[in-house]
Amino acid sequence: MDALNRTLDIVWPARMMPYTGWALLMPALLLVGLLVLGLFQMADSSLHTLDRSTFLPSENYTLENYRTVVENATYGKIIWRSVLGAVLTVFFTLLLALPYSYIMVRTSSSAVRKVLLVTLFLPFFIGQVVRAYGLLIILGTTGVANNALGLVGVEPIRLLFNFPAVVFGLVQYMLPFAVLMLAPALTAIPRETETAAASLGANWLQSFRHVVIPMAKPGLIGAGLVVGTLALTDFAMPAMLGGGSQDFIANAIYDQFFRTADQGLGAALALMLVVLGSVFVAIVISIFGAGTLGMGGKK
Amino acid sequence: MTDRSAAQYAPADGAREIAVRASHVSMDFGGGVLAVDDASFELEKGRFLTILGPSGSGKTTLLRMIAGFQKQTAGEITINGKAVGAAPPHRRSIGMVFQRLALFPHMTAAENVAFPLKMRRFDPRTIPDRVNGFLELVKLGGYGNRRINELSGGQQQRVAIARALVFEPDLLLLDEPLAALDVKLREEMQLEFRRIQHELGVTTINVTHDQREALVVSDDIIVMDGGRIQQHAKPVELYRAPTNPFVAGFLGLSSFVEGKATADGDLQSGDLKVLGVSAGDVTEGVPVIAAIRAEQIRLARSAPALGACEMQLDATVIDTIFEGERQMYIVEAASLPGTTFRVYHHDPEGFGLFDIGDPVAIGWNRRDLKIFRHAAE
Repeated sequence: MDALNRTLDIVWPARMMPYTGWALLMPALLLVGLLVLGLFQMADSSLHTLDRSTFLPSENYTLENYRTVVENATYGKIIWRSVLGAVLTVFFTLLLALPYSYIMVRTSSSAVRKVLLVTLFLPFFIGQVVRAYGLLIILGTTGVANNALGLVGVEPIRLLFNFPAVVFGLVQYMLPFAVLMLAPALTAIPRETETAAASLGANWLQSFRHVVIPMAKPGLIGAGLVVGTLALTDFAMPAMLGGGSQDFIANAIYDQFFRTADQGLGAALALMLVVLGSVFVAIVISIFGAGTLGMGGKK
Repeated sequence: MTDRSAAQYAPADGAREIAVRASHVSMDFGGGVLAVDDASFELEKGRFLTILGPSGSGKTTLLRMIAGFQKQTAGEITINGKAVGAAPPHRRSIGMVFQRLALFPHMTAAENVAFPLKMRRFDPRTIPDRVNGFLELVKLGGYGNRRINELSGGQQQRVAIARALVFEPDLLLLDEPLAALDVKLREEMQLEFRRIQHELGVTTINVTHDQREALVVSDDIIVMDGGRIQQHAKPVELYRAPTNPFVAGFLGLSSFVEGKATADGDLQSGDLKVLGVSAGDVTEGVPVIAAIRAEQIRLARSAPALGACEMQLDATVIDTIFEGERQMYIVEAASLPGTTFRVYHHDPEGFGLFDIGDPVAIGWNRRDLKIFRHAAE
């Protein structure tokens, strides 16, 4: 240990101690710094339009790309679809994740808990693209779902390449994230609190509504934020389950960068997405207060 | 608080009404040991009963069965003549103060107290007045808008009491709510529980492992050990006349002597006849164990200084412990090798009269040494 201490004295002398915190912060600052740098570059390229004759960005600065995003009905539609998709995904994911994690946390049978955990995590290990393919197989016209419907005499219906399919895929994809964020929040609620609610006259539903949900609020908001931002910026589910007809913003950005090579428009869309995501987070935090997320401070 | 005086809980004709009756109640969690083993007792309306016992004695299980959180595996519990077990907890009229209080942290003190009223569909117009009345009862008038985490430990206790009582339950259950408090606050809250219970006259069952608390607050005490009720008596009776060695050892500080019963009800240990009175079923020759409380043994420099003591022994001080208001000596009697006596000594002249190794004399009156049949090993 002495040798270690002596080496430490040479590498990081005692007088440097006050700066230890900053030194440890460096990697984070570096990472965020690079991201900000990239963001500035994006902002710069979003201010140049693409010259269709030379396929080079224009020399002069212009807001033309933003005008296109705002005025072109296609982009309006895409943005609206992304926002609606994200909101619906948050709603349905939390609706399913809350009872799921509640049962997982409260069950007295460790076998049930294990089954719930494994069921949750098995799809988690499989990549998003593979899962989307899986859903294609299940939901296809001759897929498992339609075969099952056929058994009860229902004609095959188109379950794929529409908006509900994308939301379904997103909910299925987000569920593990939400459950993982909710479970600790529910674990933190003492069982005794629910027992108390029962002794005070609350039935199961009232206890859930007046005690469990308010006390799980930090977890619900945290899970909602994560699910919402991930869904808003998702690429694979709209691309694969939407079949090109249900593009989200990320798909539009991809098209601009890699199909039409219009970097400027792509960058403008990307920045729009950053703004949308930030506004979403800002709204949630201003409504519920940072305090509920355990970030200190009061509402 | 005039409208909520003791009168409403008291039986109209002064007759003794039974509020809670448990008959042959057992709880089997499996594993061969009964958590509660054939417990039977009755509790009169308006009285304060404490179930006292060490951890694992089954006292909390018994309370949870009365509350309806657990269903007994045998026997029957009735509250006000009605068998419980059929109705879920939220359909019963039982107020409970929990070990960790279980207040709702997302609500203010007043909202916590109003919660049972809302759940039990009291007239919304009467709720604020009622909440304020009960907050005043627990001396928290003006604290209604505080959030739970803005209240001190003692204030949180008071909110929990108000919340459990505000809907005027038939029965108040206290599940060791004072266990986590520091001594000063605990003693203050014990007196508060007593005051509030007297004011409202609500039938109360308290569970604790704190013998002092049990003696201070209760009208009746049930001592439990190993799932069985050991003794059910009033505090004074329980302390003065324990019916078995467990109760004698659990309340107060006792020293024990083992031996065999003599024909005239004393204890024979070797050549020495130890004078005492037998409690319960003791016949000549059976193995017995005798208990005597530390404050009932007299201690002096020599036998003549003991005064009138029916039993006198020579002993040696083997340890001396200063306890503040008194000195405790551990002494070993010469004629009872291996048996130590713990003696409280109040010395008006000053502490520290005897040192380790000093020869002393100890003595007691016959009636103070209780002789019990030795439980089969």
